[in-house]
Amino acid sequence: MMAIEVEKLVKQYKNGVRALDELSLQVNRGEIFSLLGPNGAGKSSLINILTTFYKPTSGKVIMLGKDLCQEPAWVRKQIACVAQRVSIDEHLSLMENMIFQSRLYKVEPQVAKKRISSLLDSFELSGYQKYPTASYSGGIKRRLDIAMNMVSSPKILFLDEPTVGMDVESRKAMWKVLRKIRDEFSTTILLTTHYLEEADQLSDTICIMKEGKELAQGTPSNLRSFIRQNMLRIVFSNADETKKYKNTLENTGLIKFANVRGNSAFAGVDDSRTAFTAVNKWLLDHQVEFDAIEIVEPSIEDVFLALTASGNKRREEWVC
Amino acid sequence: MLNILWRNMKWRFQNPLSIAVTILQPLLWLILYSSVAGQTMQNMGIGNYTAFILPGIIVLVTFSACSSGGIINFIMKSSGSFYRVLISPISRNSIVLGQMLEAIVVSFIEVIILCVIALFFSVKVASGLSSIALMILLIFMTAFFLSGLAYSISLFLPNEVIYETIMTAIVLPLFFLSSALFPTENLLGGLKVAVMLNPFTHIINALRSLILGEPILLGDILGVIVLFTVLCCGSYALAIWRLQKETAY
Repeated sequence: MMAIEVEKLVKQYKNGVRALDELSLQVNRGEIFSLLGPNGAGKSSLINILTTFYKPTSGKVIMLGKDLCQEPAWVRKQIACVAQRVSIDEHLSLMENMIFQSRLYKVEPQVAKKRISSLLDSFELSGYQKYPTASYSGGIKRRLDIAMNMVSSPKILFLDEPTVGMDVESRKAMWKVLRKIRDEFSTTILLTTHYLEEADQLSDTICIMKEGKELAQGTPSNLRSFIRQNMLRIVFSNADETKKYKNTLENTGLIKFANVRGNSAFAGVDDSRTAFTAVNKWLLDHQVEFDAIEIVEPSIEDVFLALTASGNKRREEWVC
Repeated sequence: MLNILWRNMKWRFQNPLSIAVTILQPLLWLILYSSVAGQTMQNMGIGNYTAFILPGIIVLVTFSACSSGGIINFIMKSSGSFYRVLISPISRNSIVLGQMLEAIVVSFIEVIILCVIALFFSVKVASGLSSIALMILLIFMTAFFLSGLAYSISLFLPNEVIYETIMTAIVLPLFFLSSALFPTENLLGGLKVAVMLNPFTHIINALRSLILGEPILLGDILGVIVLFTVLCCGSYALAIWRLQKETAY
């Protein structure tokens, strides 16, 4: 049985905005599933529907074998959601927040006590019990938020951009927590993110969305092979040089397109071996100073940019 | 329900200023205004003006306490567990009743404080224990109606600034267009109609009769109970409907 099956889901708001446009996706049990997409792709609308907060306009959602629209009360008992904004009650202590959440889900007090103790250890929160929750850093509040949502032992945990605004260290600590939830508690995790690296590192499955539709769904490696794009990476001495030669290279006709990341220009080409020689020759002939040139595999960022590019022209160029 | 009540009461006791502020204005009316206006009112045949205005002040303090219950809703919405509670398996009735009960409990705390202070101004309930029980019922109904209304309004409005403005705009006309401060026997015309249409006039009159030990007709008190039963059902239904709309987008 799948954890979540979404079929031709439509969400149209009263103001006419169609946030979800016949979206279909499947989430396996016990996996980390990431929804990746630009702002306005419909990620939060989808989470709001799956957590029973919004009602769909049309389409079907089956969660753990039951119809979401027919049995929202049953679904609520099986899920928990860590919202985009931290939702702890700052006037309650850490323990009181955990107890409040366990009572919301009618967890037996004795069971709740054991679970809370185990969660505090797993999430390394025990040391913070003596401090007021209002004094916690953003990362600790977020960790507590997730621990609270785990107190009901949900079968599916939703996280709406859980690492937004976090520094690199806190983000990596959060990834560790999410992997632990999947591995130790066998909880299915569905998260939305803007961070391509996060989706790549963390997910078993990624779904790329744009304008309320799914553009591609698969494992990170499948998605990379999905575009089968031949690419060259040309490294320049600084970002300004890279930007300058990106445009020049695009006008030579030797490459199909290019995008810039740091000091590197990533160029999409028809045949990587031929293009490697031709571009190399062109750079040397034109006495362009560059540090390196290599044939590279496409990254998730390349997949994302290819699929979500605003012009259709570029998408058509990808061999899917 | 008790879980929501517990969470909100924790907030109240950590922010005692929210109780102090809501009781301050009614207290000023009870102590200062009754002292200043008391002598004039003696000429109109009102012996103990503090006892006369106590029912109106009880309604005023109940209104203030219930209004501040709506503010807690905004706090939970902006930085608390409002969304988390809505997607949990708790029933909508429990959420609404938990919120309303908190306002009712705070109303009773403030009413008790007012009554204790009123004792120092020689106010006594003239008709005994049965009258006190009836007073408790009437105050409960007033608080239930107002807390449901305040909670509904807090769900309708976008932020606490507009909410406070609206609640202030409601409370003052209701207070002044009632029998809270003056006897209504000599009122005439449209003013009398407006005062008599105000449901709080009737609850204030009933409470006043019980405090002053005036003869009271069973039909009159039953009429007030029926009126407020209808109002309570209406405000509760409105609160449930509005909360359900929060998850009906």
